[in-house]
Amino acid sequence: MANVHLFGIRHHGPGSARSLVHALERVQPDVVLIEGPPDANDLIALAAHPQLVPPVALLIYVPNEPRQAVLYPFAHYSPEWQAIQFGLARKLPVRFIDLPQSARLRDPSSEEKSSEDGADETTRDPLAPMAIAAGYSDAERWWDHLVESRAGHDVDVFKAIHEMMSELRGALERPVPLVEQQREAHMRKCIRAATAEGFANIAVVCGAWHTPALADMPSAKSDDALLKGLPKVKIAAAWTPWSYERLSYRSGYGAGIDSPAWYELLWEKHTALGARWMTRAARLLRDEDIPVSSAHVIEACRLADALASVRGRPVPGLAEYNDAAVSVLGSGDALALQLIHRRWHFGDRLGIVPEAFPTAPVQQDLAALQKRLRLPPKAEEKTLDLDLREAIDRERSQLLRRLRLLRIEWGRQQTHSGGRGTFHELWQIGWRPEFAIALIEASRYGHTVEQAATGLLAERSANPGASLASLIELLDDALFADLPSAITTLVAAIENRAAVSVDVLQLLDALPPLANVCRYGNVRGTDVSLVAEILSGLVPRITVGCPAAASHIDEDAARSLWSKLIETNRALEMLGNTDFIDSWRAMLQRVAQSDTAHALITGYAHRILYDASQLDFEALSLAFARSLSPGNEPVVGAHWVEGLLSGSGAVLVHDDRLRDLIDQWVRNATADNFVQVLPLLRRTFAQFPAPERRQIGERLRAGQQLQTTATNIEFDETAARAVLPVLKRIWNLSE
Amino acid sequence: MKTQEVLRAPAEQEFAEELAALARADERQKPANWKLSPWAVVTYLIGGKLDNGFQIKPKYIGQRRLMEIAVATLATDRALLLLGLPGTAKSWVSEHIAAAISGDSTLLVQGTAGTGEESIRYSWNYALLLAKGPSREALVASPFMRAMETGALARLEELTRVPADVQDTLISLLSEKTLPVPELATEVRAARGFNLIATANNKDRGVNDMSSALKRRFNTVVLPTPDSLDEEVSIVQMRVDSIGRALELPAEAPALAEIRRIVTVFRELREGKTEDGKAKLKSPSGTLSTAEAISVVSNGMALAGHFGDGTLRAADVASGLVGAVIKDPVQDTIVWREYLETVVKERDGWKDLYRACREQS
Repeated sequence: MANVHLFGIRHHGPGSARSLVHALERVQPDVVLIEGPPDANDLIALAAHPQLVPPVALLIYVPNEPRQAVLYPFAHYSPEWQAIQFGLARKLPVRFIDLPQSARLRDPSSEEKSSEDGADETTRDPLAPMAIAAGYSDAERWWDHLVESRAGHDVDVFKAIHEMMSELRGALERPVPLVEQQREAHMRKCIRAATAEGFANIAVVCGAWHTPALADMPSAKSDDALLKGLPKVKIAAAWTPWSYERLSYRSGYGAGIDSPAWYELLWEKHTALGARWMTRAARLLRDEDIPVSSAHVIEACRLADALASVRGRPVPGLAEYNDAAVSVLGSGDALALQLIHRRWHFGDRLGIVPEAFPTAPVQQDLAALQKRLRLPPKAEEKTLDLDLREAIDRERSQLLRRLRLLRIEWGRQQTHSGGRGTFHELWQIGWRPEFAIALIEASRYGHTVEQAATGLLAERSANPGASLASLIELLDDALFADLPSAITTLVAAIENRAAVSVDVLQLLDALPPLANVCRYGNVRGTDVSLVAEILSGLVPRITVGCPAAASHIDEDAARSLWSKLIETNRALEMLGNTDFIDSWRAMLQRVAQSDTAHALITGYAHRILYDASQLDFEALSLAFARSLSPGNEPVVGAHWVEGLLSGSGAVLVHDDRLRDLIDQWVRNATADNFVQVLPLLRRTFAQFPAPERRQIGERLRAGQQLQTTATNIEFDETAARAVLPVLKRIWNLSE
Repeated sequence: MKTQEVLRAPAEQEFAEELAALARADERQKPANWKLSPWAVVTYLIGGKLDNGFQIKPKYIGQRRLMEIAVATLATDRALLLLGLPGTAKSWVSEHIAAAISGDSTLLVQGTAGTGEESIRYSWNYALLLAKGPSREALVASPFMRAMETGALARLEELTRVPADVQDTLISLLSEKTLPVPELATEVRAARGFNLIATANNKDRGVNDMSSALKRRFNTVVLPTPDSLDEEVSIVQMRVDSIGRALELPAEAPALAEIRRIVTVFRELREGKTEDGKAKLKSPSGTLSTAEAISVVSNGMALAGHFGDGTLRAADVASGLVGAVIKDPVQDTIVWREYLETVVKERDGWKDLYRACREQS
């Protein structure tokens, strides 16, 4: 009968890893079995590659089903990693023995359900009851104290853990969830298989929770019954670089760790561990311009020591150091330490996966695209001029935009200078190594760049906190990045949001970008009919809400509404949809007639209607006279004129009647009124471009030509020369 | 004077029994001149059951780790600074720590704008000084000096109200641990166990902010306002009970429901939102600390006992409540009115409180 050694470990626990290595040395197994996905068995051998540097993760995914993926991260100090390295170094067979992911990755709906079934406090965190019994606030700290922080490496610890877990499982009241039973059945099955193959000394490395189930072997038959009829999905696996920050997430090995950097220190077995840890915090704080002296560090270490003894622990642990840091380095305020938390506890270590390795699907997809579009990822910055009429350039633009959606800023779009039309795009591109991480992040959403971008957009559009404006921005991105299925979800989200939006200003903000999409989307061959649908819902809502929005508002509000109306008007005219324009003008009519609307807005409404010939000159001059009649405040009149002119003097250059009208009004103003109105009018006219102002002036002068034609003044040269010597003396000029 | 006749006995007398029980049960190592081990001090503060079944009442209801940090700090010979809003039990904690560690919580200097150097160092008995010249008998030791001589804990209240030059005196005292007496050509060296607990209010830290040199001598523990409603209710109840007993108020102990209501009002106004998080509220200018809630309740008990039927009713707390909330007669009145009309009026079972408060304002 084979000798089976069970090593119950804690995922990513440096103490576990250290004890494990020593235990393996002593036991000298002839095969190493590890709790891990057998789907990735072929990849284990690659872990010996000298250029594979942890943190790395095994990515297990369903090739055809983008969102189905599980990640098994490894750090240097993960016991699993050490077990793999131990086995490979001695050329032993190393195998993963967990229930294959091919049987666990299913369609998302059933996945969710099963995780809910398993949401039992004790199975999720089996150590919690033990820790509470031992007087610790959470299991992490207790385990940390008991196993991870130990400097020694006594092998008996595994025996103790095994006994503890047997006790715990014996006391557990609830039945073990089915998935757990199946996993353990599969592990037992693998152990039996190894025994059958004739291995005599079998090392099994698994989560501490599982050891009791593996120690006592039920009949092979009952296990087979448990495993019968499991689904089988096609699965692919890859090594992928990981980061300490992501190691803290809970994914795959369900044990996210709070402080990977601390564990690294533990693993590297530095002397003066606490001093190193605190000095690190101090240096990070100094980078943030928070003065922290070495004396602070010394005091913080002393406080941590004292705290440990108050709490009855032999050495200070992470909790003590954190508390001491808050009290001494942060002057009692946790805020300063939150500032450095990420860098302090996570560090910025990135794993490396050699290029020759099979990689994550998104990376493969991107590499293929980069090759096809002849856009190699290079660190040097360069400018890319894309002509969107060319298929390849259009695809390049789409790729850059999709990546940008995935927060991979490979390309930054430049505002094109002078380049007329919408056919050209200028991009500044430069590849940075950290994009690899963003790509991993992206693989959560899908396994091609397109799928990932779509998935991310879907998630963001489902966010109930997203404002209408941000959704429309997303839609803009989605259209230009050509992500049809994301567009459908976004359009639905925008429609819903617009329907419940009570703020006309928001709707006004939404319209111009949508109109742009509608107008220019065609250049890129994107389907814009969906956007047209939203617009046909949006325009009536705007026309209903606008008159009320223009009423009883102060100048600031009126100015912001005014600028929105200008934008919207421009957008609607660009769209050229007569239905929209008709209802828009009908709305402006109502505003123009309104007594309560702000003068700026009524003035503007008159201008648009007059331009569109919906208002003849008589009606306009009547409105002009009424608004500027002495009964009104002069300010109201000035606002009205400002709205009427709307920043464009061209109308005054070409429309003699309108020019005369305003000219008359200014001339007839009383001295008091003139003084009041002058600054306002000046502001209005100052907005016109200089040539327009000059032209207006010339026209006005031409109108009064009779009085002002004094261009030919007689010039007496000798008299002028007589002054020169005096001027020279005054300005001290030499001859 | 017997303890019973004192309005308020110092902690080491009021809880003498608990301290004695802890001392008997305490087998852990004690720092020099400490009456109890750090573990026992934390137990005294947080409360708990001793192995022999003796029940220690909690003195501080809140995070255990804060008390652990505070006690560990004193064990490292660093001074302890307790920061917090008014009414977050800073002085209370400081008193109890001193009582538990040194058995004496009375070595206290109250920091004010007028606190002079002599209240931290020493002063003179001028009659003796004139009669006999400088001598040890003519010297009047400050609480600090006495604490240094006996290796006890000194307390300084409201550190940030103390003028800057006096704060500076503390720096050398805390780092050198000696107090020179040049007139007698001698100095007092601190005995082991001497340390300082200072408290300061972090709401008006601008009065005399601490220099960074002084700050460096302290480990800081910020005492927060209570995390949860239940926590705060139990703090108020505990204190009201003990105050009521001390003042021999004729009213019966108030119902938990009434305390809960008052604490709810305080918390909601302090945090600017209702407990269910559904409505936003304006906050008044005052801090509305737990200590004020305690005084509102005990005030109400006095009213109920002397002028009412002995049971705490809405009308008894209303005046105290209005007084606690409205600190600024203009702004706070608006805040309070809004709160009354939008929250108190609508809430089930709060009609009596609403009516009582309306009558007040």
